[in-house]
Amino acid sequence: MKNSKKIIFGAAAAMLLTMATTTSCVKDLDVENINPKQTTVLNQDALLNKIYSSFVLTGQTGPNGNGDIADADEGRSEFYRMVWNLNELTTDEAHWIWYKNDTGYEDLVENAYGADNAVSSGLYYRIYFTITLCNYYLEQVQDDGTAETKARRAEVRFIRAYNYYTVMDLYGNAAFTETVSTEPGQYYTRQQFFSYVESELKAIEADLKTPDQLTYGRISKVADWLMLSRLYLNARVYLGLADDAAAADYYKLAKDYANKVLTEQSYFALCKTGATNPATGETYSPYQMLFLADNDKNGAQKEIIIPVIHDGIKTTSYGGMHSLVLASYSAGMSEDIPSGTSNSWGKCNRVMGKLSDIFFGNNDVSGLKSVAAVTSIAQDDRALIYPGSYSRYIYNEDDADAGYACVKFRNVRSDGKPTSTTNAFVDTDLPLMRMAEAYLNYAEADARLNNGKTTADGAAKLNELMDRASVPTSQQSSSYSLNVIRDQWAKEFWFEGRRRMDLVRFNSYGGQSNYKWEWMGNVEKGQKFSASRNIFGIPYADITNNSNLKQNTDY
Amino acid sequence: MMKQVNFKIPFRLLALILGLFLTMGAFAQIAVKGHVKDSSGEPVIGATVRVVGQQGGVVSDFDGNFTLKAQQGATLEVSYVGYQTARVAAAASVTVTLQDDAQVLDNVVVIGYGVAKKNDLTGSVTAIKPDEKNHGLITSAQEALQGKVAGVNITNDGGTPGGGATIRIRGGSSLNASSDPLIVIDGLAMDVYGRSGSANPLASVNPNDIESFTVLKDASATAIYGSRASNGVIIITTKKGRKGSAPRVAYNGNVSVSQVKKTLDVLSSGEYQNFVKNLVMTSQGMTEAEYLASSQYNSLGYFDADGNHLFANTDWQDEIYRTAVSTDHNVSVTGGLKNMPYRVSIGMTDQNGVLKKSSYQRYTASFNVSPSLLDDHLTLNINGKYMYSHSDYSNTGAIGQAIAMDPTKPVYLNTPYYNKNWNGYFQWAKTVDRNDPSWTEGPNTLATANPLSSIYEKVDKGRQHSYIGNIEIDYKIHGFENLHLHANAGADFEFGRNEQSNSPYFFDDDIYYHGTNRWNSMRTSNVSLNAYAQYLKDFTEDHHFDIMAGYEYQRLHKNTDYWYLMTNQPTNTVDKGVYKSSDNELTRYKTENYLVSFFGRLNYSLLSRYLLTFTLRYDGSSRFSKDNRWGVFPAAALAWKINEEPFFRNVNWMSDFKLRLGWGKTGQQEGIADYGYLVTYQPNTTGAFYPILGDGTTYRPDAYNSDLTWEKTTTWNGGIDFGILNQRFTASIDVYYRKTTDLINKITLPVGTQFTNKLNSNIGELHNFGIEGTIAGNIIETKDWTWNLAYNVTWNRNKIDQLTNAESEDYRIPYGGLPVGDTSTDGVKAYHVGQPVSAFFVYQQVYDANGNPIRGAYVDRDKNGIINEADRYYYKKSDPDVIMGLATKLTYKSWDLGVTLRANLNNYVYNAVEAGNANLSYSSAYSGYAWHNVVDMDMQKAWTANGAKDVLSDYFVQNASFLKCDNITLGFSFSDLFSSNSFKGLNGRIYATAQNVFTITKYKGLDPEINGGYDGNIYPRPFTGILGLNLEF
Repeated sequence: MKNSKKIIFGAAAAMLLTMATTTSCVKDLDVENINPKQTTVLNQDALLNKIYSSFVLTGQTGPNGNGDIADADEGRSEFYRMVWNLNELTTDEAHWIWYKNDTGYEDLVENAYGADNAVSSGLYYRIYFTITLCNYYLEQVQDDGTAETKARRAEVRFIRAYNYYTVMDLYGNAAFTETVSTEPGQYYTRQQFFSYVESELKAIEADLKTPDQLTYGRISKVADWLMLSRLYLNARVYLGLADDAAAADYYKLAKDYANKVLTEQSYFALCKTGATNPATGETYSPYQMLFLADNDKNGAQKEIIIPVIHDGIKTTSYGGMHSLVLASYSAGMSEDIPSGTSNSWGKCNRVMGKLSDIFFGNNDVSGLKSVAAVTSIAQDDRALIYPGSYSRYIYNEDDADAGYACVKFRNVRSDGKPTSTTNAFVDTDLPLMRMAEAYLNYAEADARLNNGKTTADGAAKLNELMDRASVPTSQQSSSYSLNVIRDQWAKEFWFEGRRRMDLVRFNSYGGQSNYKWEWMGNVEKGQKFSASRNIFGIPYADITNNSNLKQNTDY
Repeated sequence: MMKQVNFKIPFRLLALILGLFLTMGAFAQIAVKGHVKDSSGEPVIGATVRVVGQQGGVVSDFDGNFTLKAQQGATLEVSYVGYQTARVAAAASVTVTLQDDAQVLDNVVVIGYGVAKKNDLTGSVTAIKPDEKNHGLITSAQEALQGKVAGVNITNDGGTPGGGATIRIRGGSSLNASSDPLIVIDGLAMDVYGRSGSANPLASVNPNDIESFTVLKDASATAIYGSRASNGVIIITTKKGRKGSAPRVAYNGNVSVSQVKKTLDVLSSGEYQNFVKNLVMTSQGMTEAEYLASSQYNSLGYFDADGNHLFANTDWQDEIYRTAVSTDHNVSVTGGLKNMPYRVSIGMTDQNGVLKKSSYQRYTASFNVSPSLLDDHLTLNINGKYMYSHSDYSNTGAIGQAIAMDPTKPVYLNTPYYNKNWNGYFQWAKTVDRNDPSWTEGPNTLATANPLSSIYEKVDKGRQHSYIGNIEIDYKIHGFENLHLHANAGADFEFGRNEQSNSPYFFDDDIYYHGTNRWNSMRTSNVSLNAYAQYLKDFTEDHHFDIMAGYEYQRLHKNTDYWYLMTNQPTNTVDKGVYKSSDNELTRYKTENYLVSFFGRLNYSLLSRYLLTFTLRYDGSSRFSKDNRWGVFPAAALAWKINEEPFFRNVNWMSDFKLRLGWGKTGQQEGIADYGYLVTYQPNTTGAFYPILGDGTTYRPDAYNSDLTWEKTTTWNGGIDFGILNQRFTASIDVYYRKTTDLINKITLPVGTQFTNKLNSNIGELHNFGIEGTIAGNIIETKDWTWNLAYNVTWNRNKIDQLTNAESEDYRIPYGGLPVGDTSTDGVKAYHVGQPVSAFFVYQQVYDANGNPIRGAYVDRDKNGIINEADRYYYKKSDPDVIMGLATKLTYKSWDLGVTLRANLNNYVYNAVEAGNANLSYSSAYSGYAWHNVVDMDMQKAWTANGAKDVLSDYFVQNASFLKCDNITLGFSFSDLFSSNSFKGLNGRIYATAQNVFTITKYKGLDPEINGGYDGNIYPRPFTGILGLNLEF
């Protein structure tokens, strides 16, 4: 019985104790995060790195894992790769073999994209993710008066302006905010974005450092000038001005800022030195040096105003330069011109017949398999095209053998040394902005200020680019028409993710049928498609979420 | 046996003395000599025998015998704890067989924090016992419920040994958050952190140890579980011993043989060679001679060591499957040491899968003691369960590979090249330079892997330990017996570990050459305590009160870790070391959450025919910010026992006629991160450095939502229960409407507002409306024959009522299985206001004159001249409209025959196998210069391309209504086998079962029963033959 009594009292006591401890247990609800993978303390440097990384990385584990954007394949939702798809697959430069299989690509190739196109809506969310990070940085890291903090804040503002520029260029009108809050953003028209980007770029000019004060990869004053030059060159399109005459003031500014870039030769200069690979004996033209695995130290870094850093081990992504290299190659091609990677995607990215025409005219390059043979027929080092056994035109879009291949981007070092221990991912940095653009901006602005023909001064800039690409002087001129400049943009910057913007500026994209390429508007020989497709739609979800917004015409 | 005698003697003496004492007052009439035994033939000692209408009685002796005097024809009543009371007419010699009190227990139903009499239930509650006689091969408890309960839809994840299942009660109430019901085992709410190396919480319990399931369906029953009860609650109670009973040993065992029922029809070697020949000649414009000289022809078949071009005839599906033999053994000892009933059991399951190498072994041990002390005032119930399982997952990737692999290739190719580079398996290869002259080959990633190599060059194993224990104390206060205090403290500790390794020959671009070794582990702990006080009071005979109030505390903790290592081969000329490893990664992950609750229940019955239940729960969860942390979940229910009304009281054939009405609110907090409202940053791991400052470490601010709160579901339920002839035939029907508000939904946010594009938010509403009915009855009840039948049917419809605060016709949330061949953002389903939750979102196919779908031709639904995503529409859904289950059993003397059937109606499945293999073009069949087989299903369409739009055609959404026969069992029971003077003999049953007997369906794919309606390559559910034996002594 004694024991039983103990049990009774024990049980009763236990219950009383339970009731008594209730209040302290309620306090257990105030938890702290015990996950060692997260931290509650902000590291400003790491946040700045994250903002910079947004041009190529897609999550917190490379190349894939813990992604920034929900519900998206990380590789295909990488910033540059999406920009590239919108600006290249829609034009006369590039076609994608699996265009039917990869959601959204078919609509790009056929110029039939809707507002919910997987690529354009994916990029929209990627861009605003980066803008939110920038807004957050600027809220958290206040100006403390030091030059370094001022510079970092200016760099973040530059990246935000670059992203808003991309919004303005691709979507025209969209959401705008400079704060992180639950309040949905304002509706900005293309014109408002123009003023905003212009004022930001001007405002940060003083705070940005000069390249000599900065480590590799950071944004300098020179980038700011080149961005302003690009903005003013496209001002007629963005502001909806009637003609070149109406935009004359902007072309002057475009030329001025391009000139500023050009005259700061102490920082950046065209890469004019090639190399011979001591291991393989392969020779590289100066133009090729820009797109090789050691382009951060082989001399080409002097031309690259904003490099996007890639590293086969530390900075890996399925987008960016990685996708450019792997998508360009098939397994067999590497035997003729090594890609420098252990893998390839079956040449899914292919050159349109129209681009071949720009380079080769009526010359036949079919069957050629070496850089030397092709560039000598083109009389241009920039014709880094591989005809092999492929056909020149893509009349049968389902034929994997249709369309030449691109051998411009590679993961091979000019010094013959091996790349990162695994060559599964590339070391080649992506030239996001490079010197050559200042030359073309200058020449084009010059031509537009001069009734569509360059002055000798403008022509000299183009000739300098041609000299660098070993174009014989017999092919050069002292005055170039706008159509020639349009082709020069293709030759210098083909496959560098900007063609749609250039074609729109030359009125050679939507709403016209003078300039055509195969499958333009989803017809074999090309046909006109609506000028409303010169910009993309705003994703339905954002229109729904944010009542301030208005959908673009025809979407 | 000796032990048994030892404790029996004093008890028997006591019984005898007591018996003598009691018989003194009896007056002499005829002498009745009787014997009391139980259903297994065991004598029942100490049973009380009395003559109805008289004082006193006797107690049966050591051998179950008794004598007493009674008038001829008087009624004797024999009773004993744990058995149903039996009545017999007095005669000179009587034998009384006491039936188990299972029937009595049947009338008591375990509900949340207590028990209730079935008659007094006011909510929609179904209690079932596992069918011990016709259950097929059950390795996990959910299978015992399949098809048995109206409104409960259980879909197992395919034929994987030890595989899990998806349980949906009344259609589920959530979109993105979990729709899984809360599972409570012996009063302990199971965690939802999941398991590593094992399927679901139910896998931790041996089905043989389960006494009963209670399924709480409507809110008036579930609201006592508050914030976790929106998707229903399944309460599992494990078996216990019986007071004062002799030890009883039971053995249940079976051996089973499983075989794949049918495989997918693909082209045979001969058919394929013809197909390729035609394809190459037409698409490449070749003559037959050119074809025979072409590289395409040379890629077909294989070359032996002597250079001969040969063609194999390999049925790859045949190669990967096997006939699997499995065994299952369970032993339990049940009894009662005086007032301490006990039960101890062990179980051993060795299940082999039909996919080669796949297997599952489980060892379980459990004990229960439930002593009552202090004149039954203090009862304890102590449970301990241990489970260890070991799974070999084999490689289910081989299932899809076996469909696509070229049938002209052999499994093994004994040439120096294949032996050296591919460990003797045939594989499609390409040359790779990795600075190692000894390893110059690699997998051709556009080709299909040899499925046998995929199985044998990879090891993928899981281990799981599970410890579940609880102590339940119930104390009726001495001198104030109407009040009792109850406490239950429990813990569930789980440890799981998954180990994988691949040989360097494994067909994967990253793994080949390097091989892998990796593991990941997960520890979870779930500690809880609940205590309540219950007060029962009758005011006069007409008013009965039952009031309960309590408190609960629960802490859930999770801890995961991983490790991996990949190395270069020692022959590498540049780097012989590590290729990839987890060395520099932060591999640990920890999280926890707390739940603190207060709850109460009031039951009031008036005139024992008007019943009222009111419950309230107040829950606080650490998953929400302080402002949204607490939630109130009330419920009320009314029941009217119409048959107890005076005007029906004389209608004897009607044994039950009850009307139930219920209303209640419940919550749902799963699918929500533990720290989703706190501001945190996430540092990067490998491969995501960006060297601008320092070492390039990046921090990403985590998106957070401090406004998030639980989903709330309001349920209205109306039901009628009806029973006749002393419940020989019963029927019930329930109508319910469940409205979920504050739906937790991962939605796209307005840009610029968060550090992500999508975040869990409380936006949206949906409802489920349904009717469910059950009929059960013993159609034949004679001495030799019995035939009973139970049938249930449920009709359920759901609809999304609201998705965001903004109104837009176009707004939708894509989700669900990704369309084949695409890894991008858009699923084959989407949520849209006005549509069912599981609606497909597809293009409308255009057909030719022969009824074949034309590739690329879709209806331009918005009539703007272009076909793009704006032309997609909502078409059908994967959830069935109707689910039905039927179980019937026929017994004749010792023979029994049972059949269970199940049907789903109007459920649609996206046939991803057909969609994924639809492209019959040259470039697809010869993709990567390697040949790929084609599926018969796709031959008629003859599509020559298959794009992202094509796979979204409504053609691939196919009716998958089905009728399945789950089990047919024939059994024979025996008793007193090998009995002798010293041994009472064996009782038992021997049976044979056929499982997964047939499926009637129009669906084209292998199996129409697909959870979520996305039919990729599932592990096929095999046909299984079982031979089993139950023994008891």
